[in-house]
Amino acid sequence: MNAPGTTETEEIIARAKAGDAEAWGELYRQYAGAIFRFCRRALPTREDAEDATMEVFVKVREKLVQYDATRPFTAWLYKVAANHCWDLLRRRKIRQDKETEDLDNLPLEHPDPDQLEQLIEQRTGEEVRKALDKLGTRARMALVLRYYSDMSYDEIADALGVRRAFVGVVLLRARHELRQALEGTSALAAGGTS
Amino acid sequence: MKHPDEMTCLLYVERQLDRARALEVSAHTQECEVCRTLLRALERESRLLTRAMLEEEEPLPARIESFGERVRRSMQWVWMLAFGLAATTLYALYTGYIQPLQDRLEQAGFGGTNLLGLLVFQGSFWKGWQSMISLVEALAMLTLIGSVVLVLRRRLRRGSAMALVLAGLCAALAAAPPSGATEFRKGQTPTVAKGETIHSDIFLSGERVSVDGTVDGDVYAFGQSVDVSGHVLGDVIMFAQTARVSGQVDGNIRGFDNNLTVTGTIGKNLTEFCQTLTFDKGGKAGGSITTFAQSVTIDGQIGRDILWYGQDLNVTGSVGGALQGKGETLEIASTASIGGQVHFEGKSAPAVAQGAKLAFPVQFTKHVEKPHEWGRSSIFWQVVLMAAFVLYGLVLISLMPQFARETVHSAENIGASLGLGILVFFGVLIGSIIVAVTVVGLFIGVSTFFVWMISVYAAQIVVGALIGQWLMGRTNELWPLIGRMTVGVIVIRAVTMVPHGGWVKFGVILWGLGAISIAIYRRFQPSARMAVAPVGPATPLPAMTTVGGGPAL
Repeated sequence: MNAPGTTETEEIIARAKAGDAEAWGELYRQYAGAIFRFCRRALPTREDAEDATMEVFVKVREKLVQYDATRPFTAWLYKVAANHCWDLLRRRKIRQDKETEDLDNLPLEHPDPDQLEQLIEQRTGEEVRKALDKLGTRARMALVLRYYSDMSYDEIADALGVRRAFVGVVLLRARHELRQALEGTSALAAGGTS
Repeated sequence: MKHPDEMTCLLYVERQLDRARALEVSAHTQECEVCRTLLRALERESRLLTRAMLEEEEPLPARIESFGERVRRSMQWVWMLAFGLAATTLYALYTGYIQPLQDRLEQAGFGGTNLLGLLVFQGSFWKGWQSMISLVEALAMLTLIGSVVLVLRRRLRRGSAMALVLAGLCAALAAAPPSGATEFRKGQTPTVAKGETIHSDIFLSGERVSVDGTVDGDVYAFGQSVDVSGHVLGDVIMFAQTARVSGQVDGNIRGFDNNLTVTGTIGKNLTEFCQTLTFDKGGKAGGSITTFAQSVTIDGQIGRDILWYGQDLNVTGSVGGALQGKGETLEIASTASIGGQVHFEGKSAPAVAQGAKLAFPVQFTKHVEKPHEWGRSSIFWQVVLMAAFVLYGLVLISLMPQFARETVHSAENIGASLGLGILVFFGVLIGSIIVAVTVVGLFIGVSTFFVWMISVYAAQIVVGALIGQWLMGRTNELWPLIGRMTVGVIVIRAVTMVPHGGWVKFGVILWGLGAISIAIYRRFQPSARMAVAPVGPATPLPAMTTVGGGPAL
């Protein structure tokens, strides 16, 4: 993906905004892969991701006139994609997350740092992706927004419709779920030293 | 020693802690190996997540690769569709309004000289102008249009640019500037003096306009009073409060006046919009009279037909052709003679005096006021018009999606929209007429009038979209907005079909017109962005740093 904000990309975006079909094609070629991977991480199946990618670009085409060129294009693009995927998941009523905004359920003690380090060192990207598939919808979406799209906590709060103060909680719970999925046990999430 | 909890550690790594808390954690990690290890593990976990997500483990699916190309092509189809729909709309309006009128005129024996033809296509309104367009002028106009398109191309969609070029070409052809050979006279009493001969067209503008001499061309007269007592070899186009033609006009007369009196001779036709038209005993017209006038008196000689829409018509002179009229009263005196058929539609039967020379018996159709025509044909045309409005709205919203959203948003402020709508509805209409009358601003005046007309029609689209949003929920997306506009327009058209629905329609027009005006006004305002950066929480310390020392890990 080209770095956002470069003159060339800005030029292409401006032309696409003005209705230049060639520029639109170039924009699509540049960003289709990134958006597809985003959807692939956020949605349950490959078919869902393919459909969502195309729907996201249809939306992008319609909303491109609203894009403020003074802000990074990728951030805006991911925001459109995030909103679309989250709406899609919500419509399917598959939000079975256990999370609530109740902080009492959070483990406040340390996990075992050495054990955590060991777990992370041994895992490959593929294993992590497989583990992500086992996560709850919101947990997975939160991790994708933060660690794939590099969204700020404010943007994540906006996309997921939660209070900003709750974003850290969602992310931490998501990490715990991920560790459980990686390990197959809840030892890391629950166990700890103090 | 109390360790910070994992949540705090994560927020520290993510640089989300406030400065004071970050300093505490930083100080703690300088002394605590366990917490340093945890921070390092959390950081590595973040990197592992990012790496795992960014890895391209599978190629882009073929259908996604080809989708971009399909969308690119579809963008061209969108505009083709839009222009197609625009053409359909024009066709629907033509078949809905113009063709029925033409048919009626045709039936009335005015074939070939119908009102539209008289005014636009066959009239001399454009005569003398078109012939003045030289090749150089045409090329200059095309160059200008091309330059404008080039300048605006970044801000316009391709279809919009095409529409602009077409509109520019139409404007260039329809309203070419008058040639330098045309003479202009302005002042309080612009006059073509007796004995003077003008060998070109002439524009006269002032309080009291008089043509006493000879004009070998067309006369365009704008004034409080216009008096043509001389000889005009071409046509006369006039806008006046009081107009009088006592001389000789070889061509046609087109007038928009309060009252017109003809005692002279008109070689061809008279087309007149006025309150009172008096064709005196000495007055003669070689051709037809087409008039929308409250009160008409025909005492002179008319060579061909009369088409009249108004209140009262009194015929005491002679009419060579047919008489077709619609009004309240028709009186035919004993001195009158009419060579063609007489058809009158009115509230009461025409009063025909004994002795009147009529080639055919008078055909009378009693006009019965109907609250509303609910016939099959009426409903059919309502549906056609409804579809035309929807298509018109579709084209407008597709061409200007952002402006459409802004306009609909403005319409939510009902009070302001209605207030401004009243002002604009009457103000712009009157203003455009005044500008047109000042001769120099004729083109601007006519253009403003057309923009006003377009806005009046678009007003119903705007209100329709808002009503649709009220019924189906708010949206900012293009096609859902078009869907809501469709629903809203159907509701409005349905409401305006009931008795006295015209007032509802008028209110809707004022409302929508005001909303459009507000949106345009806002467009021309400088962007009022906040110059002050938004206030946020204190910037946390970078992760993995210690205060007063080196990296914590």
